[in-house]
Amino acid sequence: MRKRLFVVLFLSLLLVAGSSVASLAADPGFVDGRFTTTRKITVEIYDRSNPGGSPPEDNFFTDFIKKGMLEKYNVEVEYVPVPRWTEVEVINNLLAAGDAPDVCVTYSYPTIQTYANMGGVLDLAPYLEEYKDLLPNLFDLLGDTNIYWNQDPHTGTIWAVEALLFQNKKINTFVREDWLKKLGLDEPRTLEEFEDMLRAFRDNAELLLGADADKMIPYSTSFDVGWRNDHLIQSFVPNDMSDRDMWVYGFDDRHLLWPNYKEGVRKLNQWYNEGLIWKDFPLYGAGDRTEDNLIKAGYVGSFMHNWDYPYRDGQEGIHVQLQNMVGEDAVFIAVECFPNDAGIYRKYLSAPVDRKVFFPATNKEPLASLLYLDFISSLEVRRFLQIGEEGVHHIVHEDGAIEMLPVVGEKIMNSPSNIDYTITINGLDLGDPVLTARSVALNYPGVDARFIERAYEITSNEARYGINAQVGEIKAQEGMDTALAEKRNNLLAQAIVAKVEEFDAVWDRGFNDYLRSGGQAIIDERAQKYDAMYGN
Amino acid sequence: MKSTLAVNRKRITTYLRKYWSLYLMLSIPIAYFIIFRYVPMTYIQIAFKRYSIVQSPWEMPWADNNGFEYFIKAFRNLDFLYALRNTLLLNVLDLVIGFPAPIILALLLNELTFPRFKRFTQSVAYLPHFLSWIIIAGLAKQLFAPTSGLVNIALNRLGFESIPFLNDPTHWVFTYVFLGIWRNVGWNTIIYLAALTNINPELYEASAIDGANRWQNIWYITLPGLRPTIFTLLILSLGHILSSEFDRPYALTNPLVNSVSNVISIFVYRYGIRGLQFSLTTAVGLFQSVVCVIFLVAANALAKRFGERGIW
Amino acid sequence: MVKSKRTKAGDLVIVLVCILLIMVCLLPMLNVLARSLSSTEAIIRNEVLLWPKGLNIEAYRFVLTDSKYTWSLAWTAILTVICVFVSMTMTILCAYPLIYRDLKGRRFFNTMILFTMYFSAGTIPHYLLYKDLGLLNHPLVLIIPNSLSVFYMIIMRTFFYSIPDSLRESAEIDGAGPVRILFSIYLPLSKPVLATLSLFYAVGRWNGFSDALMYMNNRHYHPIQLLLYNILNAVTSIEIQTQEGFASAPGLSDTIQAATVMFATVPILLVYPWLQKYFISGATLGALKD
Repeated sequence: MRKRLFVVLFLSLLLVAGSSVASLAADPGFVDGRFTTTRKITVEIYDRSNPGGSPPEDNFFTDFIKKGMLEKYNVEVEYVPVPRWTEVEVINNLLAAGDAPDVCVTYSYPTIQTYANMGGVLDLAPYLEEYKDLLPNLFDLLGDTNIYWNQDPHTGTIWAVEALLFQNKKINTFVREDWLKKLGLDEPRTLEEFEDMLRAFRDNAELLLGADADKMIPYSTSFDVGWRNDHLIQSFVPNDMSDRDMWVYGFDDRHLLWPNYKEGVRKLNQWYNEGLIWKDFPLYGAGDRTEDNLIKAGYVGSFMHNWDYPYRDGQEGIHVQLQNMVGEDAVFIAVECFPNDAGIYRKYLSAPVDRKVFFPATNKEPLASLLYLDFISSLEVRRFLQIGEEGVHHIVHEDGAIEMLPVVGEKIMNSPSNIDYTITINGLDLGDPVLTARSVALNYPGVDARFIERAYEITSNEARYGINAQVGEIKAQEGMDTALAEKRNNLLAQAIVAKVEEFDAVWDRGFNDYLRSGGQAIIDERAQKYDAMYGN
Repeated sequence: MKSTLAVNRKRITTYLRKYWSLYLMLSIPIAYFIIFRYVPMTYIQIAFKRYSIVQSPWEMPWADNNGFEYFIKAFRNLDFLYALRNTLLLNVLDLVIGFPAPIILALLLNELTFPRFKRFTQSVAYLPHFLSWIIIAGLAKQLFAPTSGLVNIALNRLGFESIPFLNDPTHWVFTYVFLGIWRNVGWNTIIYLAALTNINPELYEASAIDGANRWQNIWYITLPGLRPTIFTLLILSLGHILSSEFDRPYALTNPLVNSVSNVISIFVYRYGIRGLQFSLTTAVGLFQSVVCVIFLVAANALAKRFGERGIW
Repeated sequence: MVKSKRTKAGDLVIVLVCILLIMVCLLPMLNVLARSLSSTEAIIRNEVLLWPKGLNIEAYRFVLTDSKYTWSLAWTAILTVICVFVSMTMTILCAYPLIYRDLKGRRFFNTMILFTMYFSAGTIPHYLLYKDLGLLNHPLVLIIPNSLSVFYMIIMRTFFYSIPDSLRESAEIDGAGPVRILFSIYLPLSKPVLATLSLFYAVGRWNGFSDALMYMNNRHYHPIQLLLYNILNAVTSIEIQTQEGFASAPGLSDTIQAATVMFATVPILLVYPWLQKYFISGATLGALKD
């Protein structure tokens, strides 16, 4: 009796050991590039609820992807819609309930790190290692750079893969071409010339605006000072800033802590006190249309914004509306006028990373999920997702350039270039860079190509890109993103509107608060880990 | 002995025969409270635990310092202390200025003799209540912005300087309270107006015979008639002294006034919802609740001193 | 109202105050209404004050001709009516038994109920609860979880208190049970508070959308406020603007923003005057003479 028990125990132990060994080997259900039984995965998809949009989980493009995945890999894909503006809260709910989709996307890496620390994220490293040969498109598109971007050097874990930021464009400085002509001014090429231009706008308000002279706004900005004054402030940053400093002090996404940032803001403070900046700028939050309306009405002489901001939105955009309101000549052009201390028009662009793709720990089909990523990274599939059907979503010019058409109805793209579906790439990529550049220029209805080409070129001219320092987790950064970003915005706005003689006091107070509330701790940890990894 | 037992049993049966229907009626709401309020409440224990999104609260490990780590963390955080101060400041102002306003308005409306005008005023007075705070903030900026606000433009034309309604902390506080009153005063009169209908009209008839004037009517008849309602609402308002709504400060704030506009709800939003620090924010919420309950009990006891019923 | 000695000056002051109040409350609404009917150019130039400029009914056409919105309007109306019935029933069932002073366990119930007003634990535990109950994405999740407000229950109870005990006692002597008393005495005499609370519950449900946002994935059951919130939000998130580098939802004008406010307020505004007739004077209390 005892002996039989022993045998049974031994055999069952063997069975258990055998099955666990089996799970580490390649998925036996995957034969000849397909699964033998149909696997199911769920993928997160943003629901923007845009008027006239199609249901994000069930439309022309999801049908295309589902069909492709089923035919190629025998994988059934189901989309889980998540409202775009409550994305974090909804994902929290889903994770807590164990219902999170198999493939999730987010813009914030610290969020993923937090989830990972709680045990909620799947480590991708072993799977990427194991299945590398099955994922040629993914590795082709993202390269080892983006795939291993977030790998922890000590533990080797990869919590998320970085999508590729293909069209890496950021900010541009725009001025009213017609006002320059009217005042006989050349395009500004230096800071002094830009300042003189602003003063000229202010002093010639009656000439430029007639009866509306009191509404003159030489330079406009918004509460997001760091973003909207990027070229100016960052021209004060020393050209020879080391990679180390750039990274250690660069965790704030407006780079508040970079050397000499303060002087850039001081310049804005001077302008504000001279009456050159729109006085109401801190009052209006994100998405408020007041500033846009002032620009469209023709009262604003210059501003800095996203690289193509005035040219977007076709009929509703600034370019067309301004021409409607004021006249044919009233246009904004992009200018390059803030050289740094080495005389270079340096632009600081993001590292080529975009969204982060991660798999929650509840993901039972890591291979199928990775194959999904591979599928949508193949040039053929993502081209189709980005430009759609010929004749319906786009027309092809003689030289091969693609011009997008406005689509309504069930084949509509819910997001520009279907970015919500192409989660591994951000930005149009037709495979040929020249063709792509030409196509980008074509896609601004109502705007002459010369403006786009100029803006396109200037915004990434003399670019210095963000770098990656693989030092593992920065604990001090956990959960601090939003709070520190708010402090930064408050500091910058308050510093600009302060009286000139109070600027230093206001700056120091806000800056020290930033450091004391966690900024310093992050700097210290980053510096220590960087030096440990790369030496000093 | 035996007779007392029998008497007791009879008492119990008569009691139950009389009141069984009441218990039946209560059972549904009580079941509701247990399922929908008390069951989720077990989550509050994460205030004392190290949060993990994949574990149930019972499984999570205890936090340091006997579970009080997050309370300590909150009170060490300067932002939280400012949020606490601002919440109290704004709520107290709201109470002191905003509580009497609907009562006064209800009394005023009550004095109107033209019924159509009265009804019209009533209906218009509560229109602002239906505007969301985002819309109200937009309207406020249109009116009060330093250079493009209509009020300031008018002031400038008359030769006065712009008033920084929204961009100076002190002014902002009063704008904040004023907008709150504007939005809610009409709506809050509804309860008082409904309460006024309960006052026996014969009392007014009697006082007319005695030759009382308007103010005497208000003081001796109307206000005492409203007393229970006023006290109930006052107790409930005091019980919310540390609670913090989110929409109003979030819509009205801007980077220049954060020293007064950062209230507890915004702190929780930043650190908890966006920062995923659930334990911290649950601890803060728990602290708020405890303080509110203390105020509630105190207010209730005080009301009983005044001879009112209280809400217990 | 019964007349008493009045001073002409006092009347005048009161009327003036009311007129001021009307202006302060009405003018902003007129501004929003005007903007919802104005052309985009006029709005850009900030020319719209109280009267529409460049008549433009695009926004209303946009919402009223899209079946998604008209269905949602109808659904929200149905939902609101259902919720009012459910909530009022729950509130009465809760408030009425608690006025009996000799009800055993009354203090316990009072405390237990009040406690829930102050202690709550956020979205995640509610999400998990609804999931376990199978309420997620079911229309009931918009009806049941918020059906009973302690605050309103207390108000109703306070009103019930003001009805003299003598009425109840005489009915008890006649042999009526609590249920009979509720229907024959308390409810008829409480019309003002019933109307008031019905209005409060109705407005709360009509304007509320955060529960649908979190717990209702099925777009068919989204209340109108959620649809409008989504339109407005399409451009307000800063992350969307900077991270994604494009403005979502082009073509949405300020007119639509203003029109959404109209959609929020007009339907529910129609309810109040209809309920006003229940706020009759206390003539009914005249029957209370012993």
